[in-house]
Amino acid sequence: MLLRLAGLAAVAAAAMLVGLLVGGTPLPASDVLGALAHPRAASDVAVIVWQLRLPRICDVAFVGASLAVSGALLQGLLRNPLVDPYLTGVSAGAAAAIALALLAGISAVAAPGIGFVAGLGSALLVAALARRGTGLDPQRLILAGVSLSAFFSAIVALAIVRAQSGNSASAIIGWLAGSPAGRGWNDIALSLPYAAIAALLILPAVPALNALRVGEVQARSAGVHVERAQWLVLASAALLAACSVELAGMVGFVGLIVPHVARRLVGYDVRVLLPASAFAGAALVTIADAICRTIAAPAELPLGVLLAFIGVPAFLYLYLRDGSAR
Amino acid sequence: MIEVRDVALEVGARSLLEGVNFSVARGELVAVIGPNGVGKTTLLRAVAGMHALAGGSIAIDGVPVGALSIHERARRIAFVAADETPVEALRVRDVVATGRYAHHRWWEWRENASDGSAISSALAEVGMERMRDRVFSTLSSGERRNIWIALALAQETPVLLLDEPTTHLDVHVAQRMLGLLQRLARRGKSILCALHDLNDAAAYADRLLVLGSGRLRIADRPDAVLESPLLDEVYTIEMERIRLTDGSLRVFAKKR
Repeated sequence: MLLRLAGLAAVAAAAMLVGLLVGGTPLPASDVLGALAHPRAASDVAVIVWQLRLPRICDVAFVGASLAVSGALLQGLLRNPLVDPYLTGVSAGAAAAIALALLAGISAVAAPGIGFVAGLGSALLVAALARRGTGLDPQRLILAGVSLSAFFSAIVALAIVRAQSGNSASAIIGWLAGSPAGRGWNDIALSLPYAAIAALLILPAVPALNALRVGEVQARSAGVHVERAQWLVLASAALLAACSVELAGMVGFVGLIVPHVARRLVGYDVRVLLPASAFAGAALVTIADAICRTIAAPAELPLGVLLAFIGVPAFLYLYLRDGSAR
Repeated sequence: MIEVRDVALEVGARSLLEGVNFSVARGELVAVIGPNGVGKTTLLRAVAGMHALAGGSIAIDGVPVGALSIHERARRIAFVAADETPVEALRVRDVVATGRYAHHRWWEWRENASDGSAISSALAEVGMERMRDRVFSTLSSGERRNIWIALALAQETPVLLLDEPTTHLDVHVAQRMLGLLQRLARRGKSILCALHDLNDAAAYADRLLVLGSGRLRIADRPDAVLESPLLDEVYTIEMERIRLTDGSLRVFAKKR
């Protein structure tokens, strides 16, 4: 199992290296490695690597890992394989707030920050609606997430209709399609503390998530503080989803599909599944981003769109194959 | 030892049970019987600390259940629910290992030697050691029941609570299950279980508690309970009693 985990880490590292090589201007591996070794060199390659590609690759790897871990956490907590990070309401809330902000003429530069704050606000609203006693009701959480997302999507649609006469419509649509374009080291630095908080919240929840695999009642009898685990997981999943929204807008399917792939590779033990999901998510989004940057260069495909094109058939294939094997 | 004193239980705003008093000593197997919906499961859940009391007190070895943290509780009381939880793609051993949760602090993620021996002896106790690497969902109902009991045994608690452990089991597997519970009690556990089959309960339990009409109606030796006309009243059906050649009593509901 640990060998497979190491394999996934190697794949993620290789994907990041490939991401550095490809793009509008393909770079030879030797030049890229040289630039990585000498960050202060004044060559064109060093500038491309350190100021353009590396921040972007770190951005997309961060997004992939965050979404995949967030999805694995929520699927484990709710024992529902169809749950994804956006169930927390983060993306829909962020999209609605950003659409309204862009419509109101607020600069697109402020969009990631607005998305982060609004996404967390929306997650709090979902959590408040899903509250039962001191914990969360899994059914209510799903219902609240789905219905609030529908509500916020209506706001986004309204904003697009209203914005059609101006430039903000394309900005809103671009944001919804998901892209890390325009993000840099600063955005990553802004997200890191929140991802670190999420990681700290996850740690005490890991043994509880493993115990919850046998169901809530038996886990509770075995000593699991189910309500505490629910809040820790929801908070960390929402923080990670908000970080990814800040770094790349709406990137769908990663949080849904990657935990399934990771489970097939390393099994159901959450101690291994979470890092495996992080590596697999980082690898998938980095590769998808490399394709987005090269396939129609110098134009870029939206990352979210490409991931959906890859993700949906892959997901269906996995499930149909699974179904016929049973 | 389980001590239940003047306990009242409610479900929502509805009063379910009141004035319930009984105790289960170390080494004793006590069965709770009574018609559907009378509160057997809720009583077990209350003893397990999973259902709030509307009145009275429940103590384990002198310590009120409500005063125990969830971790402390799990080291004193193990509860096996009646519901079948679907568990996907987990090996039998992983399911049983869940019973060791309360023996670790949250940062202790690795199994230690005492976990390994507790899991192995729990599996051996229920006769499932050779199934340790099987996928749980591929087991039969009876085997799965045994694994849930092994999970509870891996908790190494003095108190074991089981809600309808013989439901869905064929007569042979059910007898083996009850024999196992009797053996566990003889080795010092306090066992309280809800059962539907009156004859099984009488054959294996040391005492029977009969719940009916919101109260504990009888708490006595099995024969005394089966002989009591109160049994007919509680189940609202006439019972026929037959004394077997070995001297034990059996009851059967008369056909209406």
